[in-house]
Amino acid sequence: MTVGVRRVLALLAAVTLLFGPIAFSHPGLAADQTLVVGLVAEPVNLDPAQVTDFNSTRAGRRVVETLIDFAPGSTTLGPNLATSWSVSPDGLEYTFKLRPNVKFSDGTPMNAEAVRFSIDRQINGESAAHKLGWFPYANYNFGTVKDIVVVDDHTVKFVLKEPRASFLGIMQGAAAGIVSPTAYNKLGKDFATQPVGTGPFKFAGWDRGNQILMERNPNYWGKAPRLQKIAFRWASDTQALLAQLQNGTLDLITDLPPDSIAALDKNPQFTVVKHPAIHVWYVGMNTTHGPLRDKRVRQALNYAVDKTAITRDVLKGTAIPAISPINPGTWGYNPDVTRYPYNPAKAKQLLAEAGFSNGFTVNFWVPESGSGMEAPVAMATVIQANLKAIGVTANIQTMEWGSYLKRLTTREQDLFALSWAAGQPDPDFVLYPLFHSSQWTPNGPNRALYKNDQFDALLDAGRKYTDQALRKKIYFQAEKLLTDDAPWIFVDHQLWVMVTKSSVKGFYLGADQDIHVNTAYRQ
Amino acid sequence: MRGGAFLAQRLVALVWVLLGISIVVFLVLRLTPGDPAMLLLGPVATVDDLSRLRRELGLTAPLYVQYALWLGRVLHGDFGRSITMHRPVLAEAFLKLKATALLTGAALLVSSVVGIAAGVLAGWRRNSAADRLSMLLALVGVSVPVFWLGIVLIYVFSVWLRLLPAGGMHSPFGGGPLDTLAHLILPAVTLGAASSGIVARITRSSVLEVVHQDYMRTARAKGLRDGQVLRRHGLKNALIPVITIIGVQMGFLLSGAILTETVFSWPGIGTMLVTAILSRDFPTVQGGVLLVAGLFVLVNLATDLSYTLLDPRIRYES
Repeated sequence: MTVGVRRVLALLAAVTLLFGPIAFSHPGLAADQTLVVGLVAEPVNLDPAQVTDFNSTRAGRRVVETLIDFAPGSTTLGPNLATSWSVSPDGLEYTFKLRPNVKFSDGTPMNAEAVRFSIDRQINGESAAHKLGWFPYANYNFGTVKDIVVVDDHTVKFVLKEPRASFLGIMQGAAAGIVSPTAYNKLGKDFATQPVGTGPFKFAGWDRGNQILMERNPNYWGKAPRLQKIAFRWASDTQALLAQLQNGTLDLITDLPPDSIAALDKNPQFTVVKHPAIHVWYVGMNTTHGPLRDKRVRQALNYAVDKTAITRDVLKGTAIPAISPINPGTWGYNPDVTRYPYNPAKAKQLLAEAGFSNGFTVNFWVPESGSGMEAPVAMATVIQANLKAIGVTANIQTMEWGSYLKRLTTREQDLFALSWAAGQPDPDFVLYPLFHSSQWTPNGPNRALYKNDQFDALLDAGRKYTDQALRKKIYFQAEKLLTDDAPWIFVDHQLWVMVTKSSVKGFYLGADQDIHVNTAYRQ
Repeated sequence: MRGGAFLAQRLVALVWVLLGISIVVFLVLRLTPGDPAMLLLGPVATVDDLSRLRRELGLTAPLYVQYALWLGRVLHGDFGRSITMHRPVLAEAFLKLKATALLTGAALLVSSVVGIAAGVLAGWRRNSAADRLSMLLALVGVSVPVFWLGIVLIYVFSVWLRLLPAGGMHSPFGGGPLDTLAHLILPAVTLGAASSGIVARITRSSVLEVVHQDYMRTARAKGLRDGQVLRRHGLKNALIPVITIIGVQMGFLLSGAILTETVFSWPGIGTMLVTAILSRDFPTVQGGVLLVAGLFVLVNLATDLSYTLLDPRIRYES
């Protein structure tokens, strides 16, 4: 080795030793008071009513809270900013009693007027507040709201145009977050990037492209969190995210590909948490096209697909096989439906009965990736092989997500792979948009173009009655009809996987894929 | 002044180039299947919500009207607001461009220093072990994909040795120039590797050509030592093609930066453009591409002008 080369090596070593340690120090803060969360993309906006992506809500919901929320670790709705609520017998009025003495982090009071303001700004196109924001799901969520009445300082009443029994679910959703009217009016369009709410944390800074910082909210109404600060960071490349967890920069990551999880599961330095997400992955069948019009053919395709093999071998245990669109463990799940265990012989027999003993050919549209799509191409390839085994040729066409969504509105699809993450246990959020005949694409997300009048009537009734026991009976019946008609190949429900350093404890996951860190701490 | 006229001519050409690029980008974006409204609202979108959002985003007017409106605003310095980020495009693009400029600049430094040093060594000591080793490394540098090299460097230096950070531009809760420098080392080396290979090969052949020139022999005959001959007479003449190639490398580095930025979560304009294209964020793509294209053309111009500084024989005439 020449002297020159030695010099260069020595210099390199000096530089790395000098700067290396700086990278891992958190200046001025003890390690046990901070948490660094890794996301797969930079949030775009922290006002949950103005958001369309998970990364943004996962950060924004630490700051902005809703009136009601899931009890920790469950899908049962419980009190949050509202302590109690009641529904009028006709199902048209929802009255919420607010928690007293709650303040926003800017010191202004959270009261009935603030609740009215937070929702009204989304639906009242004439208000000045409406023009300061952008509310993509306002109609989807609050289109049925006729009026919001401030009864007294701590009581607010929502009057609906028509009964919508799942309205409480909407009031748990991110868009129903309660924001400080004072801060919103003062900050205008900038509110979305520096929100003010009642949550356990308050917004502390956004270093664009690098990180979002939050710190304890001294005005928080509940038990103060043990964490002092949270940083949200992101990496679109999952290998990069993984490397940052492994080298200690990140404390908690999610949305990892199934292949990476098995290795981490065995490593004692990390904790892998799996939690059922309210989600379903399916292959829709266009019920108005060719052989797929025949119920027996659609049932045959369901029997032909080995869902257990897909969840075991492709998804590596990060999903469970589905028997219907409804998640097991939620109140609307009917286990007693027409089931389609893997049975190619039965599938062939059904095809023969329908007059297709020689099979047929269909197109099969698959997105390359997409929100909640798991491993679409690998899964579709297995499904294609399964169908081939019963004589059905499915020609896969893969598309980029944006092009895919657009093309699905053409109704030219025969088979198509898609998923749905309702985030809510109420079956109305799954069955109505995906299967009610009023929701045929492009009017809504019913892309299998399914229509069954009896089923439609049941879903309408499910929205009308507020008694949950009665609704459960209604939806159980609807699910029986639906699985027998089989407009989809019901494939799987995703398990939401999160990996943390083993020293991080006390967090929990929501069924809506939210990460709750109010109670998190470092051991 | 002839140089001034040349510069003016090139700057006028720049305007036409940018106008052409803006039309192409505008059309390509709109002819690509996929619709920003649909991507924003996702699979739950209803036809009413979509048409309302398209109206709000100004996507319902005829294409030439949309283009004219956009161009008019750009001429007034308003690049519009990003559809997905809800922020002014220009502010966001400049912020990201700064990060990319830092990364590209550092990579250019790495590739120039390493490439020229290796090339000179190889050319000067032709057929020696140093020559063979340099050219082997240059070949490896050129052949290795950026994302692969990036991931390997991360695993060695960040995960295994824990000497350098794995990604981002700052530490969580931290910052400062030294912190940024630590975050810059791996991405700059990754991005600079391929370029340094190319620079090394060009430098080597250029040095080989110069070595046999008469003035080199004369310099030796005057009694100058080897090192002096190389420094005073060899390098200056050998560097003209090298400068050209380094100028061209700027464009290569800017495009390579997209992959490097992704692997290292570097908050640059490449990452911003890819995200914007995938979400059909028209204003961001149009504004971002225009800025990058402008920068690229200016860098080319600067390269051309730098020849006159290095070699007084070169003059531009209009």
